[in-house]
Amino acid sequence: MGRYLLLLLTALPAHSVDFGREILPLLSDKCISCHGPDPSSRMANLRLDNREAALAVITPGDPAKSKLIARVAPAKPAMLMPPTRSHKAPLTPAEVDLFRRWIAEGANWGQHWAFVKPTRPTPPRPGHPIDAFLNPTYPNPAAPAHTLRRRLAYDLTGLPPTANVPYEQLLDQLLASPHFGERMAMWWLDGARYADSDGFQADDTRTNWPWRDWVAAQFNKNLPFNEFTRQQFAGDLLPNATPETKLATAFHRNHMTNGEGGRHIEESRIDYVLDRTNTTGTVFLGLTLGCAQCHTHKFDPIEHRDYYSFTAFFNSVAEDGAAGRKAKPYLSVDSPYAPRAIAEMENLAAQRRPAEQQARQAAQKPFEAWLKTQPPANYQAWQPLRPHELTSAEGTQFTLEKDATIQSTGPFPRQDDYRLATRIPLPRVTGFQLEVLPSPKLSRNDSGEFLLTDIKFQVRTPGTSQLRDLLIKNAIADYSADKAKNNNYGNIKDTLDDDPRNGWTTLGADNSKPHYARFELSEPLVLGPAEEVLIELRHRSTAGFQNIGRFRLSATADLGPGVQTLGPSPLEQLAAGKPDRARLLDQFLAGHAPYLAARAALDRAQKQLDELKASTKVNVMVLEDLPQPRESHILLRGVWDKKGEVVTPNALPAILPLAPNEPRNRLGLANWLVSPENPLTARVIVNQLWQLMFGEGLVRTPEDFGLQGERPDHPALLDWLAVEFVESGWDVKHMLRLIATSAAYQRDSRASAEQLAQDPANRQFARGARFRLPAWMLRDAALTHAGLLNPAFGGPPVRPYQPEGVWEELFMGRFTYDPSEGPAQYRRTLYAFWRRSIAPTFLFDSAQRRSCEVRTSRTNTPLQALTLLNDETYLEAAQTLAAHPLATIFEKVLHRKPTAPELSTLTKQYNQALTHYKTNPTDAAKLLRSGRAKTNPTPQRAAAMLVASLILNLDEAITHE
Amino acid sequence: MHSRRLFLTQSLGAIALNAMDALPHFPAKAKRVIFLTQSGGPSQIELFDHKPGLMKLAGQELPDSVRQGQRVTTMTANQKQLIMPPVAKFLRHGKSGTELGEWLPHLGKVVDDICLVKSMHTDQINHAPAMTQFLTGNQLPGRPSLGAWTSYGLGSVNKNLPDYLVLLSKMQRPSDQPLYDHYWGSGFLPSRYQGVKLRNAKDPVLYLRDPEGLPRPLRRQMLDGLAELNQRRLDETGDPEIATRIRQYEMAYRMQASVPELTDLSNEPDEVFNLYGPDSRRPGSYAANCILARRLAERDVRFIQLFHPDWDHHSRLPSWCTARCRDTDQPSAALVTDLKRRGLLDDTLVVWGGEFGRGVAGQGQWDSIEAGRDHHPRCFTIWMAGAGVKPGLSYGATDDFSFNVAENPVHVRDLHATILQLLGIDHAKFTFRFQGLDFRLTGVEPARVVKGVLS
Repeated sequence: MGRYLLLLLTALPAHSVDFGREILPLLSDKCISCHGPDPSSRMANLRLDNREAALAVITPGDPAKSKLIARVAPAKPAMLMPPTRSHKAPLTPAEVDLFRRWIAEGANWGQHWAFVKPTRPTPPRPGHPIDAFLNPTYPNPAAPAHTLRRRLAYDLTGLPPTANVPYEQLLDQLLASPHFGERMAMWWLDGARYADSDGFQADDTRTNWPWRDWVAAQFNKNLPFNEFTRQQFAGDLLPNATPETKLATAFHRNHMTNGEGGRHIEESRIDYVLDRTNTTGTVFLGLTLGCAQCHTHKFDPIEHRDYYSFTAFFNSVAEDGAAGRKAKPYLSVDSPYAPRAIAEMENLAAQRRPAEQQARQAAQKPFEAWLKTQPPANYQAWQPLRPHELTSAEGTQFTLEKDATIQSTGPFPRQDDYRLATRIPLPRVTGFQLEVLPSPKLSRNDSGEFLLTDIKFQVRTPGTSQLRDLLIKNAIADYSADKAKNNNYGNIKDTLDDDPRNGWTTLGADNSKPHYARFELSEPLVLGPAEEVLIELRHRSTAGFQNIGRFRLSATADLGPGVQTLGPSPLEQLAAGKPDRARLLDQFLAGHAPYLAARAALDRAQKQLDELKASTKVNVMVLEDLPQPRESHILLRGVWDKKGEVVTPNALPAILPLAPNEPRNRLGLANWLVSPENPLTARVIVNQLWQLMFGEGLVRTPEDFGLQGERPDHPALLDWLAVEFVESGWDVKHMLRLIATSAAYQRDSRASAEQLAQDPANRQFARGARFRLPAWMLRDAALTHAGLLNPAFGGPPVRPYQPEGVWEELFMGRFTYDPSEGPAQYRRTLYAFWRRSIAPTFLFDSAQRRSCEVRTSRTNTPLQALTLLNDETYLEAAQTLAAHPLATIFEKVLHRKPTAPELSTLTKQYNQALTHYKTNPTDAAKLLRSGRAKTNPTPQRAAAMLVASLILNLDEAITHE
Repeated sequence: MHSRRLFLTQSLGAIALNAMDALPHFPAKAKRVIFLTQSGGPSQIELFDHKPGLMKLAGQELPDSVRQGQRVTTMTANQKQLIMPPVAKFLRHGKSGTELGEWLPHLGKVVDDICLVKSMHTDQINHAPAMTQFLTGNQLPGRPSLGAWTSYGLGSVNKNLPDYLVLLSKMQRPSDQPLYDHYWGSGFLPSRYQGVKLRNAKDPVLYLRDPEGLPRPLRRQMLDGLAELNQRRLDETGDPEIATRIRQYEMAYRMQASVPELTDLSNEPDEVFNLYGPDSRRPGSYAANCILARRLAERDVRFIQLFHPDWDHHSRLPSWCTARCRDTDQPSAALVTDLKRRGLLDDTLVVWGGEFGRGVAGQGQWDSIEAGRDHHPRCFTIWMAGAGVKPGLSYGATDDFSFNVAENPVHVRDLHATILQLLGIDHAKFTFRFQGLDFRLTGVEPARVVKGVLS
């Protein structure tokens, strides 16, 4: 409807037609995909993308004689352009009228606005230049002081304000804060598709994070943007190149890499080279260069050849397309930020070490007591199991003998699964034992060799139809054949992985002697009444006919060495009068909860400490050219091995010819990008800066300044800002300060019904921007509100809380996710480990970090609500905030005092919750435990935690107002 | 005045033409889709595409006239392409007499209800690009998946569940081909259209469960308080997003009840578990997910997608390929039977398939039981069943080597066009503007609806 209103306005014949604003978008939308620069899709040999060619169907001054008009508004429907089969809507009468008037006025031609170098327009009014250009009819007044403080702090640091100081002073503080660089880095990393893993196939971990810290540090130093660009494109080629400027070039190595077995590495290499071109196009030029990969751009003046000439700049990097740890060239980096992280974790481990020692000491007394009660003289650790159900998938039959031995009989199929159901004659189970017995050999086949591919343990509960898998922590056997010599068959551990291409065999040992294996459960199992265990022995080997002949199963309740080692258990030794105290203590500690907790806490810290120590010197993927440049070609239809004509490095001539004195390498390209003559870069970047502060750019398609992109809402302002950016020496902080000091930025964001009806998207900037904050800011804010935030700068990635199992289920266990321990848990989201195949689960609407993204997505879904209600970080923040009175919590989160009605609602909420928790103190303890409380659980604290969670979920709390 | 009114109507008409509310473009045969994704590339030569003539050619080099320069992966690029006849025997089933490999006995029982498409082909020979193309129409990540397009185009029927749900099989072995979340991603569509993973975990949907010690009535009260304060803010600021937010918190609350009810199989009778096979009693298994798929169909979820990994049998067909058949054969067939007897097959489309097929040449020693097959893009088989699809049909054919399509080729984008057609969507008109271009699931190359499989 808004569009329709605009059309009505343009239908008033008061002004002369503006080619760039009114005609070119129409030509682009309706005609140019078939009558444009791309010869492969050009119809009727007609071009409408330049005046000379278009004169074939246009007679300037005479619409009636112009064939263009006859076709867009034809007498016969069959003549209609664009044709029905193009699925483009026909021109509206107003649009046809616009064409008519334009031709009548002489069919003046012009260039697309964004391809003409901006000149500084004179502000139409005195005062702040931004406000001089933006002059809404009914502007809102300035927002309240606390709203402005929040707005500014989130925009410039991604954090809530902590100081209550006047606006101007706050502005200075925020721009000087180290958190400024972190906030800007989060913006830059999205465009740079930065991540901590390769993305494809095994999704290997990479260590490019020193580059992430470099980015944040440059924004803090306010490195001029042209220099920032030069270093990232050509830090290795600069005359004064240093390791630091070389590190900068990781920008162009942040693409995904594919190490898939069987993939041609040259195909991958070409992918990476093209990715650099496309990323440059989106981030710096606002051009959809990727469209010209297969053919000449359908709308913008970028020929197929231009695309590959541009790509040639990136084609001589000394890379070969390999991924994982072979993605050279690398720069070895000693991160200045790693020692702090190591010291922090060392400190945590040091705190936990004495706790473990104390727990071990404290266990001595109960250990001695335990020894006295153990065990009967005839103690037998392994109790034979007598299954009451014995079946098989393919027909093998069984006889159960007196001593619980099971003999297979009857058919001997190629492959078979033996299925047993048994009760357990023990109060708890910690492991199972499988004995394979000779009769006279281990299998009924000729060789006498068995091969067990997999074993499964499950629990069946009467009354439910579903089974529960029992997880096995480890398996050991008295003999395992050598895998390497037996087509991958041998190892007992391979019976746990559901893979029939490996498994256990004792091939090579005497097959007339018994063998046995032990399986330790991940956690002790206590069966309910009438519950039973199902055991499945799978024989699914490739060759087949290797099923077990005779066997027996048993279970044990012993812990530690009792189930983890072969031979007699410590208790059996004790019963036999040969005690081994060390083994006995190990067994006791394995079941002693206080010790186990202390030990596990230490182990976790120690493991993360070891991991951090390994990250003091890391390889960062950087740029470096081959001594001899590669020959570059046009790739026909964009296919990596379909080489066309040879091309040499060149910039995009239709945008700006490359100056003759520039080197034809990445440095020359960088200089071209940040040349004051370049019509695009400064506009594109100030547009993104504007977007950081207003939620939307002045051009609302920040990724596309081409013919199909949206036109700027305020072209003169955009040009003024672009020129100011260049003339200020590409000073990013200056630009942000300029925006922050405008009245437009500071307006109240409230919208009247009238404003919403007239300008729903706030294109006139009559009001301040109101939008939901990015998910990463919400996490950082929650930590800050609660006083939990660890403000440290830089260093190896950290792992914020994520629900259990999210990595494991995607990779079937290849990667596990252990949340960071201690203060490392509370670092800013910028430092969160980013695995490409599964982005951090607590982020929503975030860039995907697979390919470059400069436009933000903002949706409003129930899944976001669930995250903010139930994610561990928010629960812990709520629990921590709950130490304060309600009004204080409110003020910490919203930076204003609650109104009386608000406070009354919160108090009512608190009282309701308090009533519940007073009656149900265990609920209070549970809730506080979810919030990781270390204090005594009280109903009051639990009730306050619930209210704090409510406050953290308020629309006002999560919104840039 | 008269002409002005005419102008008005016409302008509005022209705008409405582009509007999404014109969907469906025509009456839909399928209300919902169950997509059974078999990741890794199941072998059509052992399972569907019987070529008895290969027995005579065993061990011979694949003729160049057949190969026509087809690339293989670097895993077999340096070995001779020697013909390996099918390792599995084939059996005839049903009234249609359709032949299937012996490793799919259960599918044989429903063969008259399904339609095999034996002439599928794709452009990619590596897993991630091929699967990305199979599910999003383009080999590079970044485009919306078929499910996201469907959710975007048709919206939801059930207001208590997401429109697009994804279920991954719980496996015990680390997979070589991870299931990237862009396979069910929304690409450039708003992220609310992306598939929501239904996990086999305490939280079937991430963050679904309230913390312990927060009973449901108290959560209700808390959300009431939240809504009250948010409503106040809405009145003050006039931002319609707040109204949406209040509704989303309510939907979250409803999902906290509807999702556990959905995933709780305890009320399913034993007979159902017997139908889907023993593995269906194990939560998270492909078989259990097939039961869930039926429950989702009953609840009118628009797009239900299962993923079963590890079909990448480069070696040891008799143990590797059979292992995946054992996981999936009975439950896939049971799903068709179960939908049919409940009357759901009439308006549910079931699709079973992977990203590509496998080559006729043996990988490794062709006459060893250790041998497997390399990736093959030029032909592969999928099957479809249900809403609007001809039952008991085998569509398309390959040459004597199961190497090239000989008859009625169906490109991945043709499959996409056909699925959209069954959903009432004209793939050519179904576009989304991004970076100035009108993107389609089926891309810019010509795509056609496979009329031959439509009933």
